[in-house]
Amino acid sequence: MTLLPALLLATALGQTPEGSPGAEPATHETTAQHAEHDAGPAQVLMHHVVDGPVFGFGSKHLVSFVLAALLVLVIVQRAKASYRQGIPSGVGALVESFVVFIRDEIAEKNIGHDGRKFTPLLCSFFFFILVAALFGLVPLPQYAEGEWSFAGVTSTGNLAVTLALACVSFLAQQYAGIARNGWLGHFKHLVPAGMPVFLLPIMIPVEFLGMFTKPFALMVRLFANMLAGHMVITALLMLIPLMSAISVGFGIAIMPVAFGLALFIMLLELLVALIQAYIFTLLTAIFIGMYAHPAH
Amino acid sequence: MPTDPKALAYFAAGIGAGLAIMGGGAGIGRLAAAAMDGISRQPAAAGDIRGAMIVAAGLIEGVTFFALVVTILLAIK
Repeated sequence: MTLLPALLLATALGQTPEGSPGAEPATHETTAQHAEHDAGPAQVLMHHVVDGPVFGFGSKHLVSFVLAALLVLVIVQRAKASYRQGIPSGVGALVESFVVFIRDEIAEKNIGHDGRKFTPLLCSFFFFILVAALFGLVPLPQYAEGEWSFAGVTSTGNLAVTLALACVSFLAQQYAGIARNGWLGHFKHLVPAGMPVFLLPIMIPVEFLGMFTKPFALMVRLFANMLAGHMVITALLMLIPLMSAISVGFGIAIMPVAFGLALFIMLLELLVALIQAYIFTLLTAIFIGMYAHPAH
Repeated sequence: MPTDPKALAYFAAGIGAGLAIMGGGAGIGRLAAAAMDGISRQPAAAGDIRGAMIVAAGLIEGVTFFALVVTILLAIK
């Protein structure tokens, strides 16, 4: 009894083109009477992007986060293994081009001559954010609360995950500042040197809070970008059951439109994933550079 | 004018989303115009300008998303 509406939701929301014409006419009546989801469109949308249990684990974002991290490790291992006489091939070449880009354009340009030491950290940020975002675009079968569904899970669309990333970034910035300038020097460099004394009561709190608001902005930016993208995809695909609740003909007619729109938004998501990973890494490097080599 | 707080919250969320996108769209539009000008004046610098444009667009969009998060909080109340 719960399988048929689940199938309808799965095929409509789960981005699988085959099977939907068969599922829709038979089941659109049962969705209307089906009280289990309390299925308004807002609830279905939130159910999809908000964290929930899956496969017996308490949190699907946690599972996706761990899987994305493992995927990064596997990719990097394969890249390392593909080196023959100092020349990579395949995955290795791709990873190497990214790593060289991060080392030269992001680390060295923004942190200075000792920027290379921060390259592993920046590469970790970049690859993890990119892979987590791409991982969220792939629909995977999930089993939760007694029913199957196909959906993508973007772990960086969870405030806790981006909070963790921002904390690591914050710690890296503080480490860079304190290791280079000492405890006192790091905090003394918060305010620029030639500052008139009457401005100090304003500048000190502002700069001190700035130490915290910068990673906070990183966190919210990444979270909101990933969440918004995923919500838009889900909302566009939800047009299908929405229209088919009015009539089957509408449902079938809206299907290619909805798939086209969702496909376009998913392509945009690819671009956004790359850009957001780049921006997070770049801003972390800039902040590390600001604290490690204060330019006064 | 509805007085039910939930209805007001939805109303405010809609207006807030519209205002947020107005600001973000205007800002990024100006950024794109300036980038186009720069590229047309000096095509050799196109790569640098493109990189800087993407970073600035990402930052401006980040600010827009702050406002979006507030509207989402209102809408799911």
